[in-house]
Amino acid sequence: MNLRRVAFALALLAAFAAHAGNWHADPKSSTLGFSGTYQGDAFDGRFKTFDAVIAFDPASLVTAHFDVKIMLASADTANSERDESLRGGDFFDTARTPVATYTATKFRSLGGNRYAADGMLSLRGVSKPVTLNFAWATGATPALVGDAIVNRLDFKVGGGQWADTSTIGNAVKVHTSLKLVAVAPAALKPGVPTEPKPLVKKK
Amino acid sequence: MMSVAPVRWNRVAQLLHWLIALLIVGLGSVGLVMTDMAASPDKIRIYLLHKSFGITVLMLVGLRLVWRLATRHPQEMPGPAWQRWSASAVHFALYALMLAMPLSGWLFNSAANFPLQWFGIVHLPALWGPDPAVKHWAREVHETGFWVLAALVGLHAAAALKHHYFDHDETLRRMLPGMPPPTGDKP
Repeated sequence: MNLRRVAFALALLAAFAAHAGNWHADPKSSTLGFSGTYQGDAFDGRFKTFDAVIAFDPASLVTAHFDVKIMLASADTANSERDESLRGGDFFDTARTPVATYTATKFRSLGGNRYAADGMLSLRGVSKPVTLNFAWATGATPALVGDAIVNRLDFKVGGGQWADTSTIGNAVKVHTSLKLVAVAPAALKPGVPTEPKPLVKKK
Repeated sequence: MMSVAPVRWNRVAQLLHWLIALLIVGLGSVGLVMTDMAASPDKIRIYLLHKSFGITVLMLVGLRLVWRLATRHPQEMPGPAWQRWSASAVHFALYALMLAMPLSGWLFNSAANFPLQWFGIVHLPALWGPDPAVKHWAREVHETGFWVLAALVGLHAAAALKHHYFDHDETLRRMLPGMPPPTGDKP
């Protein structure tokens, strides 16, 4: 009886120790947005559900790591037809690969408070390096603001008949702004896509 | 001296009438088919053309209204009061729909958050921000408006043919280009 309690307490401690120095992106004040081109016009979107686990200390870049999980079905471009296409088999194929991951363990200083993460993005079953350039603001709740370029065709997002980049541009700008807190958000459940938005708001 | 109203529509009015008629038939036919297409780059191109020709109609109708107000046009054909009244009502409704169709399409496109480029040349601004409620409403207007317009175009054409083949009057001929001037028309 007592032994079990001790074991439980130890397990909790171990879990806490493993996460010491890690932050999670606060879902309420963090954004993960993207900007693509359609017929030559820019459009903006964002992932409404993602989790970023960040371990970062400017004084010790070798121990830093980023671990980001993105629910692809939560992509929102304020255009229900486009969002539906994005979830479909030609693009994110969320039925087969609902989650994209970005993992980084190699970091470089770019001078001042700017850094680069040379990480791997896994999207639609393809893993390729993607560099995230970011500014880091130290504090009790650190802030990270970063940008990356993802070439959608590298990940076969919209291949085949959609590969023509004059209709949908290849380069997609990713922009993220993270407010980091020590507590993990409870919301994210990998494998459960969020409900698609209804076409018409019910009054 | 008061000049006599012309018997026939002038060449610009005729050109605008038949050009817009051709565009409306084309836009309506393509519009009926394109919504059922599976998503593909071809569908996007066809939508782009539908939107571009629709904006063209909007510009031509604007030009036509200005031309109609600025130039002299034939008086309405003599006939029973109910025919004159219903002809005027249909003409008014046709003008209203020729404006409402492209405008509701533009609004639908805007609220659905799609870009609008006239033949890929001119970027047109959105009339409204992304808005599911406005999108739904504009779509309803565009779709219902199409069926009303189709019915009115049919009625309009049927009346013109009836006047031409049964009444043997000038109703259709005065809108046809290249026709010899009817008796009484001053060159």
